[in-house]
Amino acid sequence: MSAYPPPPDVIAGRVAWIFGDDFDIDLVVGVANIKSYDPEHLRSVCMSAYDPGFADRVRPGDVIVGGRNFGYGHPHYPPMVALRNAGVAAIVAESFSPGFWRGETFNGMPLITIEGITDAVSVHDEITLDWRSATLRTADGTQIVGNPPNPRTVAIIEAGGSYELLLAEHAPAHA
Amino acid sequence: MGFTIAEKILGRTTGEPPVRAGENHAVRPDRMIAYDFPGYTDVMFRQMREDFGITELEDPSRYVVFIDHMLTKDDEREAQVHQVTRDWCEFYGIELHEAQGIGHQLTAELGLATPGDFLVHFDGHISGVGAFNALGWGIRKDLIEAWVSGQVYVDIPATTRFDLVGEFPEGVDSRDLVHTIIELVGADGCAHQVMEFGGPGARSMAVDHRQGLCGMAMFTGAVSAIFEPDDVSTAYARDVARHAFDPVYPDDDAVYAARHTIDLSTLVPRVVRPGSARVANTSTVAEMTGTPITRAFIGSCASGRIEDLRAAALVLDGQTVSPSVELNVVPTSKKVFAQAEEEGILDVLRNAGATIAMSSCDFCFGYQQPLQPDENCISTGVLNITGRMGSPDANIFMGSPYTVAASAITGTISGATK
Repeated sequence: MSAYPPPPDVIAGRVAWIFGDDFDIDLVVGVANIKSYDPEHLRSVCMSAYDPGFADRVRPGDVIVGGRNFGYGHPHYPPMVALRNAGVAAIVAESFSPGFWRGETFNGMPLITIEGITDAVSVHDEITLDWRSATLRTADGTQIVGNPPNPRTVAIIEAGGSYELLLAEHAPAHA
Repeated sequence: MGFTIAEKILGRTTGEPPVRAGENHAVRPDRMIAYDFPGYTDVMFRQMREDFGITELEDPSRYVVFIDHMLTKDDEREAQVHQVTRDWCEFYGIELHEAQGIGHQLTAELGLATPGDFLVHFDGHISGVGAFNALGWGIRKDLIEAWVSGQVYVDIPATTRFDLVGEFPEGVDSRDLVHTIIELVGADGCAHQVMEFGGPGARSMAVDHRQGLCGMAMFTGAVSAIFEPDDVSTAYARDVARHAFDPVYPDDDAVYAARHTIDLSTLVPRVVRPGSARVANTSTVAEMTGTPITRAFIGSCASGRIEDLRAAALVLDGQTVSPSVELNVVPTSKKVFAQAEEEGILDVLRNAGATIAMSSCDFCFGYQQPLQPDENCISTGVLNITGRMGSPDANIFMGSPYTVAASAITGTISGATK
Protein backbone atom coordinates (compact mmCIF):
# COMPACT_ATOMS: atom_id res chain seq x y z
CA MET A 1 0.00 0.00 0.00
CA SER A 2 1.43 3.31 -1.06
CA ALA A 3 2.17 6.00 1.49
CA TYR A 4 0.62 8.47 -0.95
CA PRO A 5 -2.18 7.97 -3.46
CA PRO A 6 -1.46 8.53 -7.14
CA PRO A 7 -2.04 12.11 -8.31
CA PRO A 8 -5.18 13.11 -10.21
CA ASP A 9 -4.91 13.23 -14.00
CA VAL A 10 -4.78 17.00 -13.84
CA ILE A 11 -3.23 18.57 -10.77
CA ALA A 12 -4.86 21.87 -9.84
CA GLY A 13 -3.19 24.16 -7.34
CA ARG A 14 -0.84 27.06 -7.01
CA VAL A 15 2.86 27.64 -7.42
CA ALA A 16 3.95 27.27 -3.81
CA TRP A 17 7.58 28.26 -4.32
CA ILE A 18 10.13 28.87 -7.07
CA PHE A 19 13.75 27.81 -6.61
CA GLY A 20 16.75 28.65 -8.78
CA ASP A 21 19.35 26.35 -10.35
CA ASP A 22 21.14 23.56 -8.47
CA PHE A 23 18.63 23.64 -5.59
CA ASP A 24 19.77 21.32 -2.79
CA ILE A 25 16.67 19.48 -1.53
CA ASP A 26 18.16 19.22 1.98
CA LEU A 27 17.49 22.94 2.39
CA VAL A 28 13.74 22.35 2.52
CA VAL A 29 14.06 21.21 6.14
CA GLY A 30 17.66 22.21 6.85
CA VAL A 31 20.63 19.91 7.33
CA ALA A 32 19.93 19.57 11.06
CA ASN A 33 16.63 17.81 10.28
CA ILE A 34 17.53 15.54 7.36
CA LYS A 35 17.63 12.41 9.50
CA SER A 36 14.17 12.95 10.95
CA TYR A 37 11.26 10.80 9.82
CA ASP A 38 8.75 12.35 12.27
CA PRO A 39 5.99 13.78 10.04
CA GLU A 40 4.92 16.42 12.55
CA HIS A 41 8.47 17.61 13.12
CA LEU A 42 9.18 17.74 9.41
CA ARG A 43 5.98 19.68 8.85
CA SER A 44 6.95 22.20 11.52
CA VAL A 45 10.34 22.93 9.94
CA CYS A 46 9.32 22.60 6.28
CA MET A 47 10.48 25.69 4.35
CA SER A 48 10.77 27.64 7.60
CA ALA A 49 14.08 29.10 6.42
CA TYR A 50 12.28 30.69 3.47
CA ASP A 51 8.80 31.43 4.80
CA PRO A 52 7.67 30.65 8.38
CA GLY A 53 4.06 30.60 7.17
CA PHE A 54 4.65 28.14 4.32
CA ALA A 55 3.32 25.03 6.04
CA ASP A 56 0.07 26.80 6.91
CA ARG A 57 -0.29 28.42 3.50
CA VAL A 58 0.41 25.49 1.19
CA ARG A 59 -2.63 23.51 -0.03
CA PRO A 60 -3.12 20.08 -1.56
CA GLY A 61 -2.39 20.28 -5.27
CA ASP A 62 0.22 23.01 -5.01
CA VAL A 63 3.42 22.55 -6.98
CA ILE A 64 7.03 23.52 -6.43
CA VAL A 65 8.88 25.05 -9.38
CA GLY A 66 12.62 24.70 -9.81
CA GLY A 67 15.41 25.75 -12.13
CA ARG A 68 18.07 23.56 -13.69
CA ASN A 69 19.38 20.51 -11.87
CA PHE A 70 16.70 20.58 -9.15
CA GLY A 71 17.65 18.29 -6.26
CA TYR A 72 21.40 18.66 -6.66
CA GLY A 73 23.40 17.39 -3.70
CA HIS A 74 22.71 14.41 -1.51
CA PRO A 75 19.04 13.61 -2.12
CA HIS A 76 17.85 12.57 1.32
CA TYR A 77 14.21 11.52 1.50
CA PRO A 78 12.81 13.42 4.56
CA PRO A 79 12.67 16.86 2.86
CA MET A 80 10.32 15.45 0.24
CA VAL A 81 8.29 13.72 2.96
CA ALA A 82 7.86 17.17 4.48
CA LEU A 83 6.72 18.72 1.18
CA ARG A 84 4.38 15.81 0.44
CA ASN A 85 2.80 16.01 3.87
CA ALA A 86 2.34 19.74 3.35
CA GLY A 87 0.29 18.98 0.24
CA VAL A 88 2.76 19.50 -2.61
CA ALA A 89 1.55 17.33 -5.50
CA ALA A 90 4.29 17.73 -8.10
CA ILE A 91 7.56 19.45 -8.91
CA VAL A 92 8.04 21.16 -12.23
CA ALA A 93 11.60 22.14 -13.08
CA GLU A 94 13.87 23.12 -15.94
CA SER A 95 15.73 19.84 -15.27
CA PHE A 96 16.31 17.41 -12.40
CA SER A 97 19.40 16.01 -10.75
CA PRO A 98 19.55 12.26 -11.59
CA GLY A 99 19.78 10.98 -8.01
CA PHE A 100 16.84 13.07 -6.87
CA TRP A 101 14.86 12.17 -9.98
CA ARG A 102 15.36 8.45 -9.46
CA GLY A 103 14.65 8.55 -5.73
CA GLU A 104 11.47 10.59 -5.89
CA THR A 105 10.14 8.89 -9.02
CA PHE A 106 10.47 5.68 -7.00
CA ASN A 107 8.22 7.33 -4.43
CA GLY A 108 5.63 8.18 -7.09
CA MET A 109 6.09 11.95 -7.12
CA PRO A 110 5.48 13.51 -10.55
CA LEU A 111 8.72 15.30 -11.49
CA ILE A 112 7.96 17.12 -14.71
CA THR A 113 10.56 18.79 -16.89
CA ILE A 114 9.38 21.97 -18.61
CA GLU A 115 12.04 24.25 -20.05
CA GLY A 116 11.37 27.93 -19.39
CA ILE A 117 9.09 27.21 -16.42
CA THR A 118 10.88 29.53 -13.99
CA ASP A 119 10.22 32.55 -16.22
CA ALA A 120 6.69 31.49 -17.09
CA VAL A 121 5.14 31.49 -13.62
CA SER A 122 5.24 33.42 -10.34
CA VAL A 123 4.70 32.30 -6.76
CA HIS A 124 0.97 31.99 -5.93
CA ASP A 125 -0.05 31.65 -9.61
CA GLU A 126 -3.02 29.34 -10.04
CA ILE A 127 -2.03 26.52 -12.39
CA THR A 128 -3.20 23.20 -13.70
CA LEU A 129 -0.71 20.49 -14.61
CA ASP A 130 -1.48 17.56 -16.88
CA TRP A 131 1.53 15.57 -15.70
CA ARG A 132 1.27 12.85 -18.36
CA SER A 133 1.64 15.33 -21.21
CA ALA A 134 3.89 17.72 -19.24
CA THR A 135 1.44 20.52 -19.99
CA LEU A 136 1.08 23.37 -17.52
CA ARG A 137 -1.67 25.95 -17.93
CA THR A 138 -1.66 29.23 -16.03
CA ALA A 139 -4.75 31.07 -14.78
CA ASP A 140 -4.85 33.29 -17.90
CA GLY A 141 -4.86 30.25 -20.17
CA THR A 142 -1.22 30.36 -21.20
CA GLN A 143 -0.02 26.84 -21.94
CA ILE A 144 3.57 25.69 -21.64
CA VAL A 145 4.60 22.19 -22.64
CA GLY A 146 7.65 20.22 -21.55
CA ASN A 147 8.98 16.69 -21.96
CA PRO A 148 6.37 14.05 -21.08
CA PRO A 149 7.52 11.18 -18.85
CA ASN A 150 8.11 7.88 -20.63
CA PRO A 151 5.51 5.07 -20.38
CA ARG A 152 7.37 3.26 -17.58
CA THR A 153 7.54 6.43 -15.48
CA VAL A 154 3.85 7.08 -16.14
CA ALA A 155 3.08 3.56 -14.93
CA ILE A 156 5.14 4.17 -11.77
CA ILE A 157 3.29 7.41 -10.98
CA GLU A 158 -0.08 5.83 -11.74
CA ALA A 159 0.74 2.98 -9.36
CA GLY A 160 1.67 5.36 -6.55
CA GLY A 161 5.37 4.55 -6.77
CA SER A 162 7.81 1.96 -8.04
CA TYR A 163 7.28 -0.37 -5.13
CA GLU A 164 3.54 -0.52 -5.70
CA LEU A 165 4.14 -1.19 -9.40
CA LEU A 166 6.62 -3.93 -8.51
CA LEU A 167 4.05 -5.51 -6.18
CA ALA A 168 1.45 -5.43 -8.94
CA GLU A 169 3.86 -7.04 -11.39
CA HIS A 170 5.57 -9.63 -9.20
CA ALA A 171 3.38 -10.36 -6.19
CA PRO A 172 0.02 -11.60 -7.46
CA ALA A 173 -1.49 -11.54 -3.99
CA HIS A 174 -1.09 -7.78 -3.95
CA ALA A 175 -2.25 -7.14 -7.52
CA MET B 1 26.00 5.59 -36.76
CA GLY B 2 28.03 3.77 -34.15
CA PHE B 3 27.52 3.09 -30.47
CA THR B 4 29.09 4.24 -27.22
CA ILE B 5 30.51 1.86 -24.62
CA ALA B 6 27.44 2.34 -22.41
CA GLU B 7 25.02 1.62 -25.26
CA LYS B 8 26.92 -1.56 -26.11
CA ILE B 9 27.12 -2.85 -22.52
CA LEU B 10 23.47 -2.08 -21.77
CA GLY B 11 22.45 -3.48 -25.15
CA ARG B 12 23.98 -6.82 -24.19
CA THR B 13 21.79 -6.94 -21.09
CA THR B 14 18.46 -6.57 -22.84
CA GLY B 15 18.73 -9.71 -24.89
CA GLU B 16 17.63 -7.58 -27.84
CA PRO B 17 20.54 -5.32 -28.76
CA PRO B 18 21.25 -2.73 -29.97
CA VAL B 19 19.93 0.04 -27.74
CA ARG B 20 20.18 3.78 -28.26
CA ALA B 21 20.41 6.68 -25.82
CA GLY B 22 16.96 7.95 -24.94
CA GLU B 23 15.20 4.59 -25.15
CA ASN B 24 13.72 2.99 -22.03
CA HIS B 25 14.61 -0.65 -21.51
CA ALA B 26 14.56 -3.34 -18.86
CA VAL B 27 18.23 -4.21 -18.38
CA ARG B 28 19.59 -7.28 -16.61
CA PRO B 29 22.63 -6.53 -14.42
CA ASP B 30 25.47 -9.03 -14.17
CA ARG B 31 25.70 -8.21 -10.48
CA MET B 32 23.38 -6.48 -8.00
CA ILE B 33 25.42 -5.17 -5.10
CA ALA B 34 24.67 -3.54 -1.76
CA TYR B 35 26.28 -2.74 1.55
CA ASP B 36 24.24 -3.23 4.66
CA PHE B 37 22.67 -0.07 5.99
CA PRO B 38 19.63 0.30 8.24
CA GLY B 39 16.54 1.15 6.23
CA TYR B 40 18.03 -0.25 3.03
CA THR B 41 19.23 -3.85 3.02
CA ASP B 42 17.32 -4.99 6.09
CA VAL B 43 14.08 -3.60 4.66
CA MET B 44 14.75 -4.98 1.16
CA PHE B 45 15.46 -8.48 2.45
CA ARG B 46 12.23 -8.43 4.46
CA GLN B 47 10.27 -7.13 1.48
CA MET B 48 11.63 -9.89 -0.76
CA ARG B 49 10.47 -12.55 1.63
CA GLU B 50 7.26 -11.11 3.05
CA ASP B 51 5.87 -9.01 0.19
CA PHE B 52 7.08 -11.04 -2.78
CA GLY B 53 7.26 -14.49 -1.23
CA ILE B 54 10.77 -15.08 -2.52
CA THR B 55 12.42 -17.86 -0.54
CA GLU B 56 14.91 -18.94 -3.17
CA LEU B 57 16.89 -16.83 -5.63
CA GLU B 58 16.96 -17.77 -9.28
CA ASP B 59 20.68 -16.99 -9.53
CA PRO B 60 22.29 -16.14 -6.17
CA SER B 61 25.65 -15.51 -7.86
CA ARG B 62 24.33 -12.19 -9.17
CA TYR B 63 23.82 -10.89 -5.62
CA VAL B 64 26.70 -9.54 -3.52
CA VAL B 65 26.58 -7.81 -0.12
CA PHE B 66 29.35 -6.04 1.76
CA ILE B 67 29.61 -5.14 5.42
CA ASP B 68 31.81 -2.06 5.24
CA HIS B 69 29.88 0.61 7.18
CA MET B 70 29.43 0.85 10.97
CA LEU B 71 32.34 -1.35 11.93
CA THR B 72 34.25 0.77 14.39
CA LYS B 73 32.15 1.36 17.51
CA ASP B 74 31.97 -2.29 18.50
CA ASP B 75 28.58 -1.80 20.13
CA GLU B 76 25.30 -3.69 20.29
CA ARG B 77 23.64 -1.66 17.53
CA GLU B 78 26.41 -2.47 15.08
CA ALA B 79 26.26 -6.11 16.02
CA GLN B 80 22.50 -6.23 15.46
CA VAL B 81 22.66 -4.53 12.06
CA HIS B 82 25.29 -6.93 10.81
CA GLN B 83 23.68 -10.05 12.27
CA VAL B 84 20.51 -9.29 10.32
CA THR B 85 22.63 -9.09 7.17
CA ARG B 86 24.48 -12.34 7.90
CA ASP B 87 21.19 -14.15 8.56
CA TRP B 88 19.56 -12.97 5.34
CA CYS B 89 22.62 -13.66 3.21
CA GLU B 90 22.81 -17.17 4.65
CA PHE B 91 19.08 -17.68 4.01
CA TYR B 92 19.38 -16.68 0.36
CA GLY B 93 22.89 -18.02 -0.27
CA ILE B 94 24.21 -14.55 -1.08
CA GLU B 95 27.97 -13.89 -1.22
CA LEU B 96 28.86 -11.73 1.78
CA HIS B 97 32.15 -10.00 2.57
CA GLU B 98 32.55 -8.54 6.03
CA ALA B 99 35.17 -6.06 7.25
CA GLN B 100 37.50 -6.64 4.31
CA GLY B 101 37.41 -3.02 3.20
CA ILE B 102 35.22 -0.66 1.23
CA GLY B 103 32.88 -2.61 -1.02
CA HIS B 104 33.41 -0.47 -4.10
CA GLN B 105 37.10 -1.43 -3.95
CA LEU B 106 36.44 -5.07 -3.07
CA THR B 107 34.16 -5.29 -6.11
CA ALA B 108 37.29 -4.75 -8.21
CA GLU B 109 39.63 -6.91 -6.10
CA LEU B 110 37.23 -9.85 -6.06
CA GLY B 111 36.82 -9.90 -9.82
CA LEU B 112 33.20 -8.79 -9.71
CA ALA B 113 33.76 -5.94 -12.17
CA THR B 114 35.50 -7.17 -15.29
CA PRO B 115 35.44 -5.48 -18.72
CA GLY B 116 31.99 -5.29 -20.26
CA ASP B 117 30.09 -6.09 -17.03
CA PHE B 118 27.02 -4.18 -15.88
CA LEU B 119 26.57 -3.72 -12.13
CA VAL B 120 23.94 -1.97 -10.04
CA HIS B 121 23.99 -0.84 -6.41
CA PHE B 122 21.82 1.56 -4.44
CA ASP B 123 24.97 3.69 -3.91
CA GLY B 124 26.11 5.80 -6.87
CA HIS B 125 29.83 5.46 -6.14
CA ILE B 126 29.68 2.00 -7.71
CA SER B 127 30.54 3.99 -10.85
CA GLY B 128 34.20 3.57 -9.77
CA VAL B 129 34.24 0.19 -11.52
CA GLY B 130 34.30 2.13 -14.79
CA ALA B 131 38.08 2.02 -14.36
CA PHE B 132 37.86 -1.61 -15.50
CA ASN B 133 35.55 -0.99 -18.45
CA ALA B 134 32.60 -2.15 -16.33
CA LEU B 135 29.47 0.00 -16.08
CA GLY B 136 28.30 0.62 -12.50
CA TRP B 137 25.02 2.43 -11.89
CA GLY B 138 23.63 3.63 -8.54
CA ILE B 139 19.88 3.06 -8.83
CA ARG B 140 18.95 3.95 -5.24
CA LYS B 141 15.83 2.17 -3.94
CA ASP B 142 15.23 0.63 -7.38
CA LEU B 143 17.71 -2.00 -6.22
CA ILE B 144 14.66 -3.80 -4.85
CA GLU B 145 13.29 -3.96 -8.42
CA ALA B 146 16.52 -5.61 -9.54
CA TRP B 147 16.61 -7.97 -6.55
CA VAL B 148 13.02 -9.05 -7.02
CA SER B 149 12.71 -9.19 -10.81
CA GLY B 150 16.33 -9.67 -11.90
CA GLN B 151 16.11 -6.60 -14.11
CA VAL B 152 15.58 -2.87 -13.77
CA TYR B 153 14.06 -0.31 -16.14
CA VAL B 154 16.40 2.52 -17.12
CA ASP B 155 16.55 5.27 -19.68
CA ILE B 156 19.56 4.40 -21.83
CA PRO B 157 21.95 7.29 -21.13
CA ALA B 158 23.64 9.54 -23.64
CA THR B 159 27.42 9.80 -23.30
CA THR B 160 29.88 12.68 -23.05
CA ARG B 161 33.31 11.69 -24.33
CA PHE B 162 36.50 12.94 -22.64
CA ASP B 163 39.66 12.53 -24.71
CA LEU B 164 42.56 12.76 -22.27
CA VAL B 165 46.05 13.67 -23.47
CA GLY B 166 49.30 14.34 -21.59
CA GLU B 167 50.19 13.08 -18.12
CA PHE B 168 49.60 14.36 -14.59
CA PRO B 169 52.29 16.79 -13.42
CA GLU B 170 53.98 15.96 -10.11
CA GLY B 171 51.62 16.58 -7.19
CA VAL B 172 48.45 16.35 -9.30
CA ASP B 173 46.07 13.39 -9.54
CA SER B 174 42.56 12.28 -10.44
CA ARG B 175 40.94 14.36 -7.67
CA ASP B 176 42.28 17.46 -9.34
CA LEU B 177 41.06 16.12 -12.68
CA VAL B 178 37.50 15.46 -11.54
CA HIS B 179 37.15 18.91 -10.02
CA THR B 180 38.61 20.45 -13.18
CA ILE B 181 35.98 18.58 -15.19
CA ILE B 182 33.18 19.80 -12.88
CA GLU B 183 34.44 23.34 -13.42
CA LEU B 184 34.54 22.73 -17.18
CA VAL B 185 31.10 21.18 -17.70
CA GLY B 186 29.19 22.26 -14.58
CA ALA B 187 27.43 20.37 -11.78
CA ASP B 188 24.87 19.11 -14.30
CA GLY B 189 27.09 19.12 -17.37
CA CYS B 190 26.73 15.36 -17.83
CA ALA B 191 23.30 15.02 -16.20
CA HIS B 192 21.67 11.62 -16.77
CA GLN B 193 24.64 10.67 -18.98
CA VAL B 194 27.71 8.44 -18.84
CA MET B 195 31.21 9.95 -18.92
CA GLU B 196 33.45 8.00 -21.30
CA PHE B 197 37.25 8.36 -20.99
CA GLY B 198 39.86 7.44 -23.55
CA GLY B 199 42.97 8.65 -25.30
CA PRO B 200 46.68 8.54 -24.44
CA GLY B 201 46.14 10.49 -21.20
CA ALA B 202 43.64 7.89 -20.03
CA ARG B 203 46.12 5.13 -20.80
CA SER B 204 48.77 6.96 -18.74
CA MET B 205 46.60 6.88 -15.62
CA ALA B 206 47.08 4.23 -12.95
CA VAL B 207 44.06 2.03 -12.30
CA ASP B 208 43.71 3.57 -8.83
CA HIS B 209 43.38 7.04 -10.34
CA ARG B 210 40.82 5.80 -12.85
CA GLN B 211 38.75 4.35 -9.99
CA GLY B 212 38.92 7.62 -8.06
CA LEU B 213 37.82 9.57 -11.12
CA CYS B 214 34.94 7.27 -12.11
CA GLY B 215 33.72 7.03 -8.52
CA MET B 216 33.04 10.77 -8.48
CA ALA B 217 31.00 10.79 -11.71
CA MET B 218 27.78 11.83 -9.98
CA PHE B 219 29.14 15.30 -9.29
CA THR B 220 28.73 16.24 -12.96
CA GLY B 221 25.22 14.77 -12.81
CA ALA B 222 26.41 11.64 -14.61
CA VAL B 223 24.87 8.26 -13.77
CA SER B 224 28.18 6.55 -14.43
CA ALA B 225 31.64 6.80 -15.96
CA ILE B 226 33.72 4.31 -17.89
CA PHE B 227 37.18 3.96 -19.42
CA GLU B 228 38.04 2.38 -22.72
CA PRO B 229 39.81 -0.91 -21.99
CA ASP B 230 43.58 -1.02 -22.34
CA ASP B 231 46.49 -3.28 -21.39
CA VAL B 232 46.60 -1.93 -17.81
CA SER B 233 42.95 -2.46 -16.91
CA THR B 234 42.68 -5.70 -18.83
CA ALA B 235 45.73 -7.12 -17.06
CA TYR B 236 44.18 -6.23 -13.68
CA ALA B 237 40.91 -7.87 -14.68
CA ARG B 238 42.65 -10.98 -15.98
CA ASP B 239 44.33 -11.49 -12.59
CA VAL B 240 41.08 -11.41 -10.63
CA ALA B 241 38.40 -12.51 -13.11
CA ARG B 242 36.08 -15.37 -12.21
CA HIS B 243 34.88 -15.83 -15.80
CA ALA B 244 35.92 -15.04 -19.34
CA PHE B 245 35.20 -11.40 -20.19
CA ASP B 246 34.75 -9.33 -23.30
CA PRO B 247 36.12 -5.74 -23.31
CA VAL B 248 33.92 -3.12 -24.94
CA TYR B 249 35.24 -0.32 -27.14
CA PRO B 250 33.23 2.58 -28.56
CA ASP B 251 32.70 2.72 -32.30
CA ASP B 252 34.72 5.35 -34.17
CA ASP B 253 31.46 6.95 -35.25
CA ALA B 254 29.72 6.63 -31.87
CA VAL B 255 27.17 9.37 -31.19
CA TYR B 256 28.12 11.60 -28.26
CA ALA B 257 26.16 14.35 -26.54
CA ALA B 258 29.40 16.33 -26.22
CA ARG B 259 33.12 15.80 -26.60
CA HIS B 260 35.98 17.42 -24.67
CA THR B 261 39.76 17.15 -24.82
CA ILE B 262 41.69 17.65 -21.57
CA ASP B 263 45.47 17.90 -21.35
CA LEU B 264 46.42 16.36 -18.00
CA SER B 265 49.78 18.16 -18.03
CA THR B 266 48.02 21.53 -17.69
CA LEU B 267 46.14 20.66 -14.48
CA VAL B 268 46.87 22.34 -11.15
CA PRO B 269 45.96 21.18 -7.62
CA ARG B 270 42.38 21.97 -6.64
CA VAL B 271 40.45 22.39 -3.41
CA VAL B 272 36.68 22.34 -3.11
CA ARG B 273 35.21 24.65 -0.50
CA PRO B 274 32.53 23.42 1.97
CA GLY B 275 28.94 22.96 0.87
CA SER B 276 29.11 20.81 -2.25
CA ALA B 277 31.32 20.03 -5.24
CA ARG B 278 29.53 22.58 -7.44
CA VAL B 279 31.49 24.85 -9.73
CA ALA B 280 31.25 27.91 -7.51
CA ASN B 281 32.98 26.02 -4.70
CA THR B 282 35.92 24.83 -6.80
CA SER B 283 39.19 26.71 -6.26
CA THR B 284 42.84 26.19 -6.92
CA VAL B 285 44.98 25.31 -3.91
CA ALA B 286 46.80 28.57 -4.54
CA GLU B 287 43.58 30.53 -3.97
CA MET B 288 42.87 28.74 -0.68
CA THR B 289 46.39 28.57 0.73
CA GLY B 290 46.55 29.55 4.37
CA THR B 291 43.04 28.44 5.39
CA PRO B 292 43.48 26.86 8.85
CA ILE B 293 42.56 23.19 9.34
CA THR B 294 42.27 20.96 12.40
CA ARG B 295 41.51 17.61 10.77
CA ALA B 296 42.81 15.80 7.71
CA PHE B 297 41.52 12.57 6.18
CA ILE B 298 42.89 10.34 3.43
CA GLY B 299 40.58 7.46 2.54
CA SER B 300 37.09 6.68 1.11
CA CYS B 301 36.04 4.84 -2.05
CA ALA B 302 37.46 7.73 -4.12
CA SER B 303 40.91 7.59 -2.51
CA GLY B 304 42.97 5.57 0.00
CA ARG B 305 44.30 3.17 -2.65
CA ILE B 306 47.98 2.35 -2.97
CA GLU B 307 48.71 5.24 -5.37
CA ASP B 308 46.97 7.65 -2.98
CA LEU B 309 48.96 6.34 0.00
CA ARG B 310 52.19 6.56 -2.00
CA ALA B 311 51.36 10.19 -2.79
CA ALA B 312 50.76 10.96 0.89
CA ALA B 313 54.00 9.20 1.86
CA LEU B 314 55.95 11.15 -0.75
CA VAL B 315 54.80 14.39 0.87
CA LEU B 316 55.05 13.25 4.52
CA ASP B 317 58.37 11.39 4.34
CA GLY B 318 60.61 12.90 7.02
CA GLN B 319 58.01 15.54 7.86
CA THR B 320 55.79 16.00 10.92
CA VAL B 321 52.05 16.55 11.03
CA SER B 322 51.26 19.87 12.71
CA PRO B 323 50.42 19.48 16.42
CA SER B 324 47.16 21.30 15.73
CA VAL B 325 46.05 18.71 13.17
CA GLU B 326 44.70 15.15 13.48
CA LEU B 327 45.52 13.19 10.32
CA ASN B 328 43.62 9.94 9.80
CA VAL B 329 44.49 7.57 6.98
CA VAL B 330 42.21 4.70 5.94
CA PRO B 331 43.56 2.24 3.37
CA THR B 332 40.63 1.34 1.12
CA SER B 333 40.82 -2.40 1.70
CA LYS B 334 42.72 -4.93 3.79
CA LYS B 335 44.65 -5.87 0.68
CA VAL B 336 45.68 -2.24 0.13
CA PHE B 337 46.50 -2.00 3.86
CA ALA B 338 48.80 -5.03 3.63
CA GLN B 339 50.52 -3.79 0.50
CA ALA B 340 51.10 -0.34 2.01
CA GLU B 341 52.51 -1.98 5.12
CA GLU B 342 54.82 -4.15 3.03
CA GLU B 343 56.05 -1.18 1.00
CA GLY B 344 56.82 0.73 4.24
CA ILE B 345 54.31 3.44 3.33
CA LEU B 346 52.31 3.12 6.55
CA ASP B 347 55.47 3.46 8.65
CA VAL B 348 56.31 6.68 6.83
CA LEU B 349 52.83 7.99 7.58
CA ARG B 350 52.91 6.83 11.21
CA ASN B 351 56.33 8.37 11.75
CA ALA B 352 54.97 11.67 10.46
CA GLY B 353 52.18 11.50 13.04
CA ALA B 354 49.28 10.03 11.07
CA THR B 355 46.85 7.56 12.61
CA ILE B 356 46.15 4.53 10.41
CA ALA B 357 42.60 3.21 10.84
CA MET B 358 40.98 -0.04 9.74
CA SER B 359 39.63 -0.22 6.23
CA SER B 360 36.00 0.88 6.33
CA CYS B 361 33.62 3.64 5.25
CA ASP B 362 33.25 5.04 8.74
CA PHE B 363 35.35 8.22 8.61
CA CYS B 364 33.82 9.32 5.31
CA PHE B 365 30.26 9.61 6.63
CA GLY B 366 31.10 10.93 10.06
CA TYR B 367 30.51 7.74 12.02
CA GLN B 368 34.07 7.39 13.27
CA GLN B 369 35.50 10.36 15.17
CA PRO B 370 32.95 12.85 13.86
CA LEU B 371 33.97 16.45 13.29
CA GLN B 372 33.20 18.79 16.16
CA PRO B 373 31.60 22.24 15.77
CA ASP B 374 33.86 24.85 14.14
CA GLU B 375 36.42 22.31 12.98
CA ASN B 376 37.90 22.61 9.51
CA CYS B 377 38.69 19.31 7.80
CA ILE B 378 40.50 18.71 4.53
CA SER B 379 39.48 15.39 3.07
CA THR B 380 39.80 13.01 0.15
CA GLY B 381 36.29 11.78 0.97
CA VAL B 382 33.52 11.83 -1.58
CA LEU B 383 31.26 14.49 -0.18
CA ASN B 384 31.59 17.84 1.58
CA ILE B 385 27.96 18.69 2.27
CA THR B 386 27.23 20.21 5.66
CA GLY B 387 27.10 17.58 8.38
CA ARG B 388 28.57 14.80 6.25
CA MET B 389 31.47 14.06 8.60
CA GLY B 390 29.92 15.11 11.90
CA SER B 391 28.75 18.46 13.21
CA PRO B 392 26.72 20.65 10.80
CA ASP B 393 28.84 23.50 12.18
CA ALA B 394 32.10 22.01 10.89
CA ASN B 395 33.58 22.72 7.44
CA ILE B 396 34.79 20.10 4.95
CA PHE B 397 37.24 20.99 2.20
CA MET B 398 38.15 18.38 -0.40
CA GLY B 399 41.43 17.83 -2.21
CA SER B 400 43.88 15.23 -3.45
CA PRO B 401 46.01 13.11 -1.10
CA TYR B 402 48.99 15.30 -2.03
CA THR B 403 47.11 18.39 -0.89
CA VAL B 404 45.68 16.78 2.25
CA ALA B 405 49.13 15.53 3.30
CA ALA B 406 50.78 18.88 2.65
CA SER B 407 48.03 20.69 4.53
CA ALA B 408 48.40 18.33 7.50
CA ILE B 409 52.05 19.40 7.84
CA THR B 410 51.42 23.13 7.88
CA GLY B 411 48.03 23.15 9.60
CA THR B 412 46.70 25.28 6.77
CA ILE B 413 45.57 24.45 3.23
CA SER B 414 48.82 24.03 1.32
CA GLY B 415 50.09 22.61 -1.95
CA ALA B 416 52.56 19.73 -2.01
CA THR B 417 56.11 21.01 -2.36
CA LYS B 418 57.86 17.83 -3.37
